[in-house]
Formats: sequence, C-alpha cells, structure tokens
Amino acid sequence: MLEFEKVAVLGFGTMGTGIAQLAAQAGCEVTVLETDQARVEAGSSALGAFLDEGVRRGKVTAERRAEILARIKGTTAIEDLADAELVIEAVSERRDVKLTLLAQVAGVVGGEAVITTNTSALSVSDLATAVPRPERFAGLHFFNPAPLMKIIEVVRAVQTAPELADRLADFARALGKEPVLVKDRPGFLINRLLMPYLNDVIQGYDDELATAEDIDTALKLGLGYKLGPLELLDMIGLDVHEHATRSAYDATLDPAFAPPPLLQAMVAAGILGNKSGAGFRGKENAR
Amino acid sequence: MISASKTVAVLGAGTMGSGIATVATRAGHRTLLYDLTEDQVERGLATVRAFLDKSVQLGRLSAEQGTAASAGISGTTDLKDLSGSDVVIEAVYEDLAVKKALFGELDEIVSETALFQTNTSTLSVTAIASGSRRPERVVGTHYCNPAPLMKLVEVADGPYTADWAHSATEEYLRSVGKTVVVTKDRPGFIVNRFLIPWENSCIRALEAGLGTKESIDAAVTGALGHPMGPFRLLDIVGLDIHQQVATRLYEQLREPRFFPPPMVERMVAAGDLGRKTGRGFYTYDDTRLFGS
Repeated sequence: MLEFEKVAVLGFGTMGTGIAQLAAQAGCEVTVLETDQARVEAGSSALGAFLDEGVRRGKVTAERRAEILARIKGTTAIEDLADAELVIEAVSERRDVKLTLLAQVAGVVGGEAVITTNTSALSVSDLATAVPRPERFAGLHFFNPAPLMKIIEVVRAVQTAPELADRLADFARALGKEPVLVKDRPGFLINRLLMPYLNDVIQGYDDELATAEDIDTALKLGLGYKLGPLELLDMIGLDVHEHATRSAYDATLDPAFAPPPLLQAMVAAGILGNKSGAGFRGKENAR
Repeated sequence: MISASKTVAVLGAGTMGSGIATVATRAGHRTLLYDLTEDQVERGLATVRAFLDKSVQLGRLSAEQGTAASAGISGTTDLKDLSGSDVVIEAVYEDLAVKKALFGELDEIVSETALFQTNTSTLSVTAIASGSRRPERVVGTHYCNPAPLMKLVEVADGPYTADWAHSATEEYLRSVGKTVVVTKDRPGFIVNRFLIPWENSCIRALEAGLGTKESIDAAVTGALGHPMGPFRLLDIVGLDIHQQVATRLYEQLREPRFFPPPMVERMVAAGDLGRKTGRGFYTYDDTRLFGS
C-alpha cells in the first residue's frame, strides 16, 4: 500500500524526470507540470531515453518500460494536478519562482495534499510560507541521478508536522531509497558536509598543492572514492556548486562555505565543467 | 627486475615499516629491516613473512615468489649493517629529533649517492632533511596503511631536494608497483590535508545532532559513493591516531577546522579508540583489522 498514489511533479528537467520515473516505478500515477509543451516533450523523451538505456543493459524489460511510461503524464495545465496527494516541486533553484508556483499549486490541490520541495540550496521553512497550512510542507531532497542514488534526505522545516516526516520516510522506502531525516539547515546533511570539502580542494588546487589529476588520484586511491573531488565538481557543474555554496555562505556567514576565488573566476569565464567542455579536469585546463 | 634490484633499508619495524619492507622485498629488492631491539626486528620480520605467506595462499604470489621474497629480507639492530644501501626508507615513530638523528648517523655509514626517503605523515620533510648534511638526497614518500595493499604514495620534495633524488624516488616507487602523486612539503600532503577537516566536520555534524552515526554513514556511502562512512573509517583508523594527526596539522596550520572536536577527546579519554579496542563509534566483537 503506497503512502501516496497520485503524485504531482513540478518541473520536467533532470531532477523532475528522475523523480517522476522513480514514483512511476513504485506504482504511483504521476503528473508532471511544465510551462510549455516543448519542455513537456523534452522531459518525456529524456525519460524514454533513460529507460531505453535500462532496456539495452538488461536492467528493465520492454514491458516494464511501457508500464512506467504509461503512468507518467506531462501537462502544462495546473488544474490537472487537482487530485494529487503528494506534490514534489523540482523547478529551477530560484526562490521567487518556487514561491509563486507553490502558492498556485496549493490553490489547486486538496487541503490535505502534502507539498514538498526538492530544493538543495534554499530554505525549506522559507518555501513553506508559500503554502496555507505549512505543517503539510517538507523537503524531499533527491540526489542526481535520482533513479540511481540510494539516499533521499527528508527535510523537516520548522513548520513540518512531526508525523509527516515519518510518512515521507515510508514513501522514500517505497521508492527503494534509504531516507535520512535531516534538519532544515543550509546544505541539509550531505551538501553541508560536501561543500566545505570541495571548496577546500579548490583552494588547495589554486594554491598549487598538486595537479588536478594528482589531487583526484590521491583521494581515489588513498580513500577508495569512486570520483576525485575535481572530477566530481566538473560533473556537478561549477555554476551549480557556486550557487549552492554561496547560498549556504549567505545563510551562515561560515567561511567554509565561501566560494573560493578560483571557482568564482571559472564560473565568470564560462568554465563550468563537463557541460561546457572545460573544467578542472577538462582538456582546456583552468590554469 | 634483477638488474634493477637495489638494496633497500627500512628503518622502523612497526606497522608502516614492516609494510614498506614487504613492498620492497616483494618487488625483488634486497631488503634490510632495522629497529632498536632484536624483539622489534623479529616481530617486524614475522609480520612481513606472514603477509607474504597469506599472499601465496590467496594466489596473489606464486610459491616461488613468496619464498624468494621471504628469503630476500633480513633484519638488524646495527645501523652499520645498512652501509650497502641504495635506498633508505625511514618509517620510525613521528618524532622529529629521532628522524633527524637517524639520517645524520646514516650520512656517515651509507654512500654519498644513497637515497633517503621519509615516510612521515605529519612532520615537515624539510625539517627532517635538515638532519642530513646532504638534504638534497632526502625525499618525502608517504605510504598509506596497509602499505602492501594500498597503491598510493604521496611524494613531496623539500626545498633542497635534488632532481636526481626526486626522479630516483619515483623510479623506485614504480619498481615496487606504486602509483605516485607529486605534492609539496605542506602539512598533511594531499590525503590528510583534505581528509582531516572532512572527518572533523562529520564528527561536528554528529555532535550537533544533524544525524546519527548510522544515518550519516548511510548518507555518505549512499549519496557520495564512498566505500565506507566517516565513523566506520574513524573506527578503523583509530580515534587516537585521528586525534594525533589532526592536532599536529592544527599546530602547524592554526585553522580550527583541523582541530579534533571535543567528542574525539572524550572518546580517547574513555579508551574508545575504535576497532582495535572493541569500541569506538560502533562496538565490535572482532578487534582484528584487515582480517589479519
């Protein structure tokens, strides 16, 4: 018995696509809201392509792929979310955009519907203010790629009803994930630990401790990490990391979160990691 | 291999020294293990031979290789026996005066061209090299524990290290199958420089109630793909070792994030040092490390 059977996902980008797939795999009926038809189609085809890859690798059968896709409907009409029991917001990390959209969605769904945000960089308690009865609001933070990563952070806003965190933890388990209950602090748990470490490595690299390759090799061989920190930054996107760590710095004034000067310079120069073709480990090295 | 075979002296027959000696003899170098007492030397040699026997059992070495490697190592308590060494690797305990004095004494015993490598993890290569009248031959080579299994060696030159010494060191490390990363003589080199603040921030998150040891370990392995969470790792490393390394880095860098959080001091005071004492963040029935 699923905790929530009808799920609305807001945003059909990378995270929205992965979250929609996860919910559909668990048996939920999923409606994904986007701003225009082109984005709906882009999201659907990304989802199809991800599942095709799964079929090719023998991880999913063709029937299962069809079944999952049949449970996901894209829409541009907010009224289509009316019967949702759980809303998961996964649009771009802009406070004003999220606040406006959450207020609109709260006006359409039932008063008992649970509303969550997949934000990684904004305050969940702040976003909860967009919704009447904010005790039904919480954070549900997925990691990228959502279908593959084993953890979901369940974030208790200061307004969140205590039993809601437990319901969301059950839901995370139904998706095949391990829930980690966390407080609404900048970076929650994982990013709070990860961001200072990545900043530290960027500064060490800028201070010419070693080459980017040797820093990654040392941490992979020395600690058994799958990815070195600089490879990881190239994958995350330097702009994404810069935004997240700057938000945490603004909220805490903790210098461990301050974006290092080299990071700021690379982002300003459009050197964003894998997506821009150059990063710390790209062919055109930053230095 | 035979033509490139060298005579390697390892100073210190403890965990790191016997591991580094294992690496040398396994690669076909004539290896001498030195320590202060017969007892320490014998224990070190027994560790080396036990490791080699286990490798043969597991099929990682052929029986002939195992026999040759066991026969290729011997021990001594007399520094003069190290006179024919091409490579001297220092792996005694982390005391600057002791390390400097050893290199100074060896200046009188080994040839002018013998290479001096120091396996310090928290002391300055520059400071240790000052114990030798020929600091140009001293190179920092930081192995990971357990040395026979971990491929990484961090190589750090001091300001006076000669190019020939650096390249001969890299060549030696390649001959024993290690992967070299080149870094600078700075506290913690690369791995500890980034690991210690990371571990400290995980401990502080636990102290602050951001999660339980189980949830933080699960989150780190699940979301970041680390082979084990920070608290499992600290239990293996040993809380006393973490405290020691963190304190030494803090003393040099004066940045609070290197300083061990209060929880570490309390655990060390209580004797909860990790797996080796049966209790650290977790409790253990089996106190053996690495299944040895």
